[in-house]
Amino acid sequence: MAAPGVHAGLQLFGSTRRLLHKLDKCAVFRSYTGSCALNQNATTALPAGSSEEIVLPRKKKWDKIAVLQALASTVNRDPTAAHYMFQDDPYLFPKTSAEFKLYSLSQESGRNTAKYIINTYPKYFQKDYAEPHIPCLMPEAFEPQINDISEDALNERIQLRQVKAAVDIFDQLIQGGTTVSLETTNKLLDLLCFYGDRDPVRDDQPEHKEADEVEAVQEDFQKRQKGRLRKASDLIGVVWRENNNAERIFNLMPEKNERSFCSLIRGMVKYGAYTKAFSMYADLLNNRMTADVHTFNALLAAAPNTREKYNEKWELIVETLNQMSEQKVQPNLLTFNAVLKSLRKCGSLARTQSLQTLNEMKALGIEPSLATFDHLLGIFYKAASSVRGPTDMIFEVLDEIEGKSFVARDPDDVYFFSNAMRVCLDLKDVELAYRLHQLLGEGENWKLLGDAFQQSVFYGRFFNLLCMMEHIDMVMKWYKDLIPSLYYPNSQGMMDLLQALDTDSRLDLIPQIWKDIKQLGHTNKADLVEEVLALMARDKQSPEVQASFADCSLAVKSVYEVGDRGRTALEWTASALGNITSLLLRAGRMQEAWGILQLFKANNRIPGEALLAEFLECAKERRDNDLAIDLVKLAASFSLTTTAKFASRVKEEFLLSEEQKKSLEELDVLSSDSSDSDSDSDSE
Amino acid sequence: MHQLQSHLQLRLTRKTEHKEGCERRALSWCETGYRGFQTSAACLKNRAARVRVGKGDRPVMYEEAHPPHFIAHRKGWLSQHTSNLDGEGGAAERTVEDVFVRKFIFGTFHGCLANEVVIKRRGNVLVVCAVFLQRLPPQKFYFLLGYSETLLSHFYKCPVKLEVQTLEGRVPYKYL
Repeated sequence: MAAPGVHAGLQLFGSTRRLLHKLDKCAVFRSYTGSCALNQNATTALPAGSSEEIVLPRKKKWDKIAVLQALASTVNRDPTAAHYMFQDDPYLFPKTSAEFKLYSLSQESGRNTAKYIINTYPKYFQKDYAEPHIPCLMPEAFEPQINDISEDALNERIQLRQVKAAVDIFDQLIQGGTTVSLETTNKLLDLLCFYGDRDPVRDDQPEHKEADEVEAVQEDFQKRQKGRLRKASDLIGVVWRENNNAERIFNLMPEKNERSFCSLIRGMVKYGAYTKAFSMYADLLNNRMTADVHTFNALLAAAPNTREKYNEKWELIVETLNQMSEQKVQPNLLTFNAVLKSLRKCGSLARTQSLQTLNEMKALGIEPSLATFDHLLGIFYKAASSVRGPTDMIFEVLDEIEGKSFVARDPDDVYFFSNAMRVCLDLKDVELAYRLHQLLGEGENWKLLGDAFQQSVFYGRFFNLLCMMEHIDMVMKWYKDLIPSLYYPNSQGMMDLLQALDTDSRLDLIPQIWKDIKQLGHTNKADLVEEVLALMARDKQSPEVQASFADCSLAVKSVYEVGDRGRTALEWTASALGNITSLLLRAGRMQEAWGILQLFKANNRIPGEALLAEFLECAKERRDNDLAIDLVKLAASFSLTTTAKFASRVKEEFLLSEEQKKSLEELDVLSSDSSDSDSDSDSE
Repeated sequence: MHQLQSHLQLRLTRKTEHKEGCERRALSWCETGYRGFQTSAACLKNRAARVRVGKGDRPVMYEEAHPPHFIAHRKGWLSQHTSNLDGEGGAAERTVEDVFVRKFIFGTFHGCLANEVVIKRRGNVLVVCAVFLQRLPPQKFYFLLGYSETLLSHFYKCPVKLEVQTLEGRVPYKYL
């Protein structure tokens, strides 16, 4: 920009004239018009006063590979940058996890709005500039073209995933007497079983209100669920209803082939109708048909939900596997993963059987995926685990997968890292955690860390472990690396960090941490704020640290006051007020400390005696008699029992004038009266 | 005849005043049906992309303050593409696209643009660089950003990226 350039130019001109005088003393002459280092030096020296010595910096000796090192440092992840989906601007940078979610969701909703507009007015977006043609940038047609009742219309609606419309057309066709081909009916069954007899929710359409009956069924179902997560039916909230369209159409079909049976079984398992799935499978066998590998996978996943006892569950799984081998169906990776997942629910006999399953997998030459290892860890390291007995499974697993790069082959792969970190946390093994973190850096493994929630769980546990076990320097190094680019710690995480600082007596870092707490938006958590104040106020520190603590305490004080824009403030507590006062006192700021003392009365809190004693000590050092008397008055106004002691201390230790002594006497009389009356009432 | 001559003389004396630019004073209604001609030298001043000096209370930004002969000396280009090189085609289409994109961004981020939009084309990608004022909360910015990127991508059938910087207020270069 030209404007600052003009001013800088004038500055340089003035300073170079002064420089010329100084340069006479220096032996080194450099061309001052060209050297920008010198000019910079000149501009910084100017505000200090023209009479000061200008120190010319020494010429730096660079290493031979310094340039390469500088370039190498840019290749790694930049810990100060935001997630790549955000714009690189301080105003648009998300500082808390709530902001992260809000900004990413609003960007996504902007995209959905654009897609809605594009699909509603497709005629403006038809002109095709792209060569070769890019199909994903063309508007999508959501309305079916064929409107008469025919099999083609049915096919089209299946293509467009319009479940209800497809069922309507099918019904009309059947009522009209035309037979629908097996192929088309199978496709319709697939559609119904995949979407659970409901229309799929589209991103760019406004949400429709659900029917009441669906909600009633949902609540009932969820009560019976016992809080198991991660099922499609739980997330969608859809349940396989009695006599729904899929079953009805299935029963209407004049001839059924294997594909129809298989789709129906898989749909039932997906939406929670497990016993029905097994009975349907029995029907399949009765019709002398064989199921395919996907159906068997579904049945294996459904098996533990149909029996109560552990050994019965296992027997059912074994029986299904035997039938699979009889029907000569080749198992794949998902089969074994389904077996292991079901074993997790089989209690004590899981350990031995899972190892046998692994052996079978190896015998067939199927490479295990991360989900396999996740299920193994789940079997060997149950949450309430200490009963089961020690195991080295995690070490063996890490030895096996170290240095390997995985791809996503099973939807459950994403849970591996957070579960493994949970195991490391339970075992309190930092080396293991480092190895696990190293694994994330191999190849494409970072993609298997999952969505933002899984990522925050992983890094939360990792940071927790580090704070517990590592030296504070390492903790701070990881802190700078992880936060806030990868992980926004919650208030528990910040408490752990404060604990770590306390353990290694680095409490002088607290003012910095307070700034971070404020930025992360945790200033509304009362226990965190009080912990910060308590740690600062607990011990006496060196003078500079004390001064920084006093500044920090004033910053903390602002959290308790009603801020701008009507932000709700925290409630003042006695300990918070007391800590702030003592911090200010120790830094020698009497005026402000006195101001805080007044707040006690305003907020109906009672100051502690130790606090007032400390105040009295400071007053003694400064020989401030008025302050001492005010203190005694304050103590009296709170009707503290130690008022008399204070009064006597003041009388002895301070040199008071006559009227001051008299006012003290009055106070003394008052307090002794009250204490006498107290003792009278006690004795009675 | 006499009247005509006296009219002519009146006209001549008035026309000796110099006027700026190619603007000629419109003929007033009483002089219709009367032919005049310019007797002073014509001064065809350039008026393109220049802000004329006024009272001194109008803040003017760096971009606006410099007339077009400063491009490549003190100013850069607002639109960068290779169509103007020798043997390359499509310059007119690029210009029309640019105009549309500028109007689109101006309207979508209404009142938030601090300065002109810079449009760069790298390969297939259209990069729109804009400087906005902090008039909207960040979530609204992100909504509009997602919306414009998707809409422009689908319209021009190429990836469109928006690179955004925000400022507190416009930075005036001088006051004219």
